[in-house]
Amino acid sequence: MAHFLEAKGITKNFGELQVLKGIDLSVNKGEVICLIGASGSGKSTFLRCLNFLEIATSGSIEVDGQAIDPKTSDLNQYRANLGMVFQHFNLFPHMSVLENIIEAPIRVKKVKKSQAIETAMVLLKKVDLEDKAHEHPARLSGGQKQRVAIARALAMRPSLMLFDEPTSALDPETVESVLKTMRVLASEGMTMIVVTHEIGFARAVADRVCFIHEGRIWEQGSASELLDNPKEERTKEFLKAVMV
Amino acid sequence: MPSFAHLFETFVSSAPLFLKGALLTFELSLASVLIGLAIGLFFAFLSLSKIRALNAISNFYITLVRGTPLIVQIFVLYFGLTDVVQISGFLAATLALAFHNGAYLSEIFRGAIQSIDRGQYEAAKSLGMTSYQTYARIILPQAFLRALPALGNQFIIALKDSSLAAFISMDELFNMATTQGANNFDQMTYLIIVAVYYLVMVMALSHLVNLVEVKLKRSGAT
Ligand SMILES: Nc1ncnc2c1ncn2[C@@H]1O[C@H](COP(=O)(O)OP(=O)(O)OP(=O)(O)O)[C@@H](O)[C@H]1O
Ligand SMILES: [Mg+2]
Repeated sequence: MAHFLEAKGITKNFGELQVLKGIDLSVNKGEVICLIGASGSGKSTFLRCLNFLEIATSGSIEVDGQAIDPKTSDLNQYRANLGMVFQHFNLFPHMSVLENIIEAPIRVKKVKKSQAIETAMVLLKKVDLEDKAHEHPARLSGGQKQRVAIARALAMRPSLMLFDEPTSALDPETVESVLKTMRVLASEGMTMIVVTHEIGFARAVADRVCFIHEGRIWEQGSASELLDNPKEERTKEFLKAVMV
Repeated sequence: MPSFAHLFETFVSSAPLFLKGALLTFELSLASVLIGLAIGLFFAFLSLSKIRALNAISNFYITLVRGTPLIVQIFVLYFGLTDVVQISGFLAATLALAFHNGAYLSEIFRGAIQSIDRGQYEAAKSLGMTSYQTYARIILPQAFLRALPALGNQFIIALKDSSLAAFISMDELFNMATTQGANNFDQMTYLIIVAVYYLVMVMALSHLVNLVEVKLKRSGAT
């Protein structure tokens, strides 16, 4: 089976600093991949290269066998097909929850407003926030904000969801509600790449876990292989440090 | 000093005339701020552009406005404009004040746009929105809300500055006061009256600005 997404030899330099040193990653439809690794190892940068928020210095990205060239491809159309969830939510504070969700479907996909609202309400129900549709984000807890952000991304009907530490900025008591939403998504067959420090989540949900170290995929394998029987010294050290 | 009774009497008898002047002052300020907003937004974008030449243009404009007295700007624009095109005094005064306010408004907009978090651009981008959509729907509405109190203050300044239009013989408040004062050999009475008019207008506006600010804070929209 052909891969859904294939990144090859991705490198990224910020001036003198080489942050990514050649990352290859293939993702199959329906796969959930967790990226773990120390702060500064390049996880976010890699994720951002996948939807061209950062343009990789070298390497190639193919989706459905189609190479994406940042110079000639319609990046907006490409990005509309990938959902992204940020550590700090990045909800639009001047819009209600509902407006946050229907904005892109209406503007980018030209969906009719009534249709967009209908879809948004279904998604809000799914993330258990129907009653907050008309609130402004400022009135929500961190966990609620993040679930709105997930609903906003899902409203574009993406074929791949990217998550960058979606629970790192949350109070402990709201983390679970977000993880639960993500588990449901995974069980429905959503293709997902998740940067996370939640080892428990990775163990339960990931089809594959990649340990990123110094801009490379240092080691990868199934959740049990990588988390319970890591082979590399660096991986062991990292896991020991995060699983205290 | 004129007696209170005399002041009050003159205040009442001159009210029809002065209210007309106040209206013109208000119209002049409002029109110049509205046009100034467009000018300001335009130059804010030039300032924020990555193209050096565009930065330099807006820098030049702002330096020019800040570095010369408003009365000079008004005279230069008034005589300059009426020299080449036939326009009304009101339009000339409006444009001169708009040219002046535009520079301050552009700095307000620039600051407000710069204060919007990078994450907002990234979220919009990640949803497939174009640059135009991102600015029109996400960045500018937030920047505008954040700038509202400063915009209100600039409006108050513009209101007071508009008194200088008296020097190109606009029948606005201040001109009213000096002519009436001269005609009646009673400068001080009319100056005190006109000060009251300005004060009331400014206080009403300040109150409005405060209300808006509180409302914005409460809604959590900024
Ligand atoms: N725009 C940028 N300009 C310069 N350096 C950057 C930029 N973005 C990231 N970096 C650097 O690249 C390195 C990797 O950053 P990245 O955010 O990808 O790490 P990370 O693995 O996501 O870390 P964390 O767990 O802290 O989020 C860091 O050293 C960071 O300082
Ligand atoms: Mg990161």
